[in-house]
Amino acid sequence: MSEEIRIGVFICHCGGNISDTVGVVHVKEAMGSLEQVKVADTFEYLCSNPGQETIKKAIKEHKLNRVVVASCSPRMHLDTFRQAVKSAGINPYLLEMVNIREHCSWVHDVKEKATNKAIALLRGAVERARYLEPLTPKSLKVTKSVLVIGGGIAGIYSALELADKGYQVYMVERNPSIGGHMAQLSKTFPTLDCSACILTPKMVSVSQHPKIKIFTNAEPIAVEGSPGNYQVKIKIKPRYVDLEKCTACGECAKKCPVKKPSSFEENLVQEKAIYIPFKQAIPNAYTIDKDYCLFLTRGVCRICERFCKGEAIDFTQEDEIADLNVGAIVVCTGYSLIDPKLFGQYGFGLHPDIITNLQFERLMLQGLHKPSTGEVPKKVAFILCVGSRSTATNGVGYCCKIGCMNAIKHALLLDKAVPGAEPWIFYTDVRAHGKGYEEFYAKAREHLATFIRGRAAEVMPNGNGVIVKAEDTILGQQIEELFDLVVLSPALIPNTETQELAEMLGIDLGPDDFFLEVHHKLRGVETKREGIYITGCAQGPKDIRETTMESMATASKVATFIGKGKISVSPGVAYLIPGRCDLCGICIDRCPTKAIKKGKKEAIIDPISCVGCGICVPLCPQEAIDLKHCTESQLIAQIQGVSEEGETSPKIIAFLEKMTAYGSADLGGQNRRSYPPEVRIVGVPSTGRLGIKPLLHAFAAGADGMIFIEGDDSLFKEDQLREHVIQLKKDLGKFGIEPLRLQSTTTTLPQYEKIMSLFDAFVERISKIGPLSQEKREELKKYLAGEQYATRYAT
Amino acid sequence: MQHDMQHEKDNHSERMKLVASLTSKRARQDFVKEVMKMPGGENILDCIQCGLCAGSCPTRFAMDYSPMQIIKMVHLGMREKVLSSSTIWICSTCYICYTRCPRAINFTTLMMSLRNLAIEENFVDKNGIKPKFHRSFFEIVNKYGRLHEPELFTRILKKSDLKSLFHNAALGWRLWRRGKLQIRAPKIEQNNDLFSILERTSKEGS
Repeated sequence: MSEEIRIGVFICHCGGNISDTVGVVHVKEAMGSLEQVKVADTFEYLCSNPGQETIKKAIKEHKLNRVVVASCSPRMHLDTFRQAVKSAGINPYLLEMVNIREHCSWVHDVKEKATNKAIALLRGAVERARYLEPLTPKSLKVTKSVLVIGGGIAGIYSALELADKGYQVYMVERNPSIGGHMAQLSKTFPTLDCSACILTPKMVSVSQHPKIKIFTNAEPIAVEGSPGNYQVKIKIKPRYVDLEKCTACGECAKKCPVKKPSSFEENLVQEKAIYIPFKQAIPNAYTIDKDYCLFLTRGVCRICERFCKGEAIDFTQEDEIADLNVGAIVVCTGYSLIDPKLFGQYGFGLHPDIITNLQFERLMLQGLHKPSTGEVPKKVAFILCVGSRSTATNGVGYCCKIGCMNAIKHALLLDKAVPGAEPWIFYTDVRAHGKGYEEFYAKAREHLATFIRGRAAEVMPNGNGVIVKAEDTILGQQIEELFDLVVLSPALIPNTETQELAEMLGIDLGPDDFFLEVHHKLRGVETKREGIYITGCAQGPKDIRETTMESMATASKVATFIGKGKISVSPGVAYLIPGRCDLCGICIDRCPTKAIKKGKKEAIIDPISCVGCGICVPLCPQEAIDLKHCTESQLIAQIQGVSEEGETSPKIIAFLEKMTAYGSADLGGQNRRSYPPEVRIVGVPSTGRLGIKPLLHAFAAGADGMIFIEGDDSLFKEDQLREHVIQLKKDLGKFGIEPLRLQSTTTTLPQYEKIMSLFDAFVERISKIGPLSQEKREELKKYLAGEQYATRYAT
Repeated sequence: MQHDMQHEKDNHSERMKLVASLTSKRARQDFVKEVMKMPGGENILDCIQCGLCAGSCPTRFAMDYSPMQIIKMVHLGMREKVLSSSTIWICSTCYICYTRCPRAINFTTLMMSLRNLAIEENFVDKNGIKPKFHRSFFEIVNKYGRLHEPELFTRILKKSDLKSLFHNAALGWRLWRRGKLQIRAPKIEQNNDLFSILERTSKEGS
């Protein structure tokens, strides 16, 4: 860059909010004396129109090409000032903002100290401004098609909504038919609608929609690309029946000699090795189970082939791979039931009359009977919370959310179907939280279902019946009753391949092992990777109503994302410095958004997937990566500036991740939570961006302690932060700097008190340790100027 | 009439007392914190009052409060009621509540801790039958390495009354005839190892 750097500094009074505590005139004088600063000025309200005009005028008058604005938090007015400088002909990324309100004037009382701190913060910004580069946001075309993984009710609803909006939808289902768990249900609560009657028309719509293509017996095996342009490989397993030719007449199944338990009927009945899961299956065609078929296991039989009039049987089918280009992916992989055998006291598997609630659904549809004798059960125990709400081994901590209503539904259906039936419900707490649920609960009580408040302790087979033992905690006494049938409500757990899929897609699982959304309330269907969405029970247990509503919300989010046609990406992304990379692969493993790929000679960083967290920068042993808009030189210049300025002792630099942690400190400022002015805050994309080099520069320039604060929701996770800081402490130790001079924590936005009390405690600690000695600083400076500089992790 | 009113009034003030004792947050916190420091009490605040322990307990019928109720009473800071309850002494330490508890609360160990506290704070007579039984039990185990029933029986007997001797004589006879009672003290192999374990654990325990 040959052009001369001409910096303008503008300081806002904020109508006294700043100028009452910070001596703005003093700051202005200090800034005006710096090199390359052509103009320094103050204004009552810089964000106002006249304020912006002042900046624009100064830009033209002094031919400025860098602008530093010291005012409120950049979270508030960064866009305002970027627009202002842009309209004056300067690239918006050549503007630097300093927060001297939330992080200075609002949190300090002594004017002199606050002024000194403001000068230090501004000095850092001016130093950084010298190294700023013009940047332009990238934009990329988005593929207007969507992949829906999972063909249950969540997938069906998302797919229909999106296809109706005009986008091409690909639906991938692992089973031979779409429909999911909802197809297995008898009735739905609390309206007692027939489940199949409301689901199957939707399944038909999916199959007939011109914009939806269904892949059954299929699953994704690889996902590549970036938001807006994902390339997905789908593996389609053979069903050995030609979908086009099969008319589902059923002749083959009549003749097939092999029987197997039906998974659709929850293993309660047997079906043939060539089977259709249920009559209304979509696609409506038979499938051969290759684990049971005699021809496929032993090479004999082929009876079905002889009897099929449509010649639909095709044993030559093999695995097929389909390549899809999609703009967005919707994950709706649903749930499984936890294995009740994990909890020995319920005796699941010991007696055929101890069943799960899903099996009870199938029994209702088959004509209610006891699996053992075929008699009609009269007295039925419904046992809730099998494995749910448990912190012990095997169990899950969360509530299954549907068990209570489901048991109440079963009690009512039983009461209707069997005259003189006696449903007993053993509950922990009845959770009737949804619309119409409490009324539904009342209805069950009106029908004289027996509610026992107490988790069933033991289920014991006893001849023709099953004994349930429990404590009625309201009466305070133990009860033992003989039942015809015992129905367990197992906890809902994520489907088996959830972990695998999460790794393939590069998205996170929560502590409950379900897919994790970005924000519990505000971004409930988005994942950390743009363009990938989660919906339905894949995200956590929920009922059908919640699932359909969430699916529609997801469809809307997807449409907003791909509907724009192009995607604009922040230019603050990592880039490779050519000629240095030796393909060690550390960054590829650690990138939280999978933005780095292995190239032929060097790693390739995808600027669309990269979110600019900068974790990769200090990780690279070759120093081959840098982060735009927070380059090593910009960062070091800023830190040096902040550390050098002023005489306060000790000097603490707090590095705050610029979204949550920085916002939390802003909140502390808004609440006027004061802390020692020795703490100077520097915003960074993530604290993982900071390697040992910037820290050494800071210590050399005058800092005495560092604090890393990361947002709780950041891509740089708490354990990674801990690991990173432990490594940095070790490295600091090698340079003879006490590891106690570095501390880290994570925070959520409202937890500003946590940050501020850390500031208090840390300043006290560093005061006790005392400032870093002058000799050490000189030693560091010599080291940093010397040759060893390149070998960062000196061993 | 007057009597009724008086009764009503008493009842009311009794209730108010209960309310006051329940809402004294300080007392509650103190007792909960104390119990949480005991072995077995670490995670009592996790209890969701599901009643699985009470339903599983084989000696529940003889208890005045169920295990679940004891935990609730600890939560509410009802120190006297907890420490003077029969529950903590009736627990046969079968551990079934602990193995089944969905919140992994080690109720059995907690019972033993509460017994110790009850003795320390004189909620039971130190020389009464309950502490005596437990003390004799451990003394015999410390002596032989395992339990010797006749000795346990005579020890408790000596220190209580003679009536029960006749009461239990018939049972003793039947047991002896089936070879269930050994007059001689039992011996175990490597009892020295066991004694050193017992010695160390008792030191650490105190």
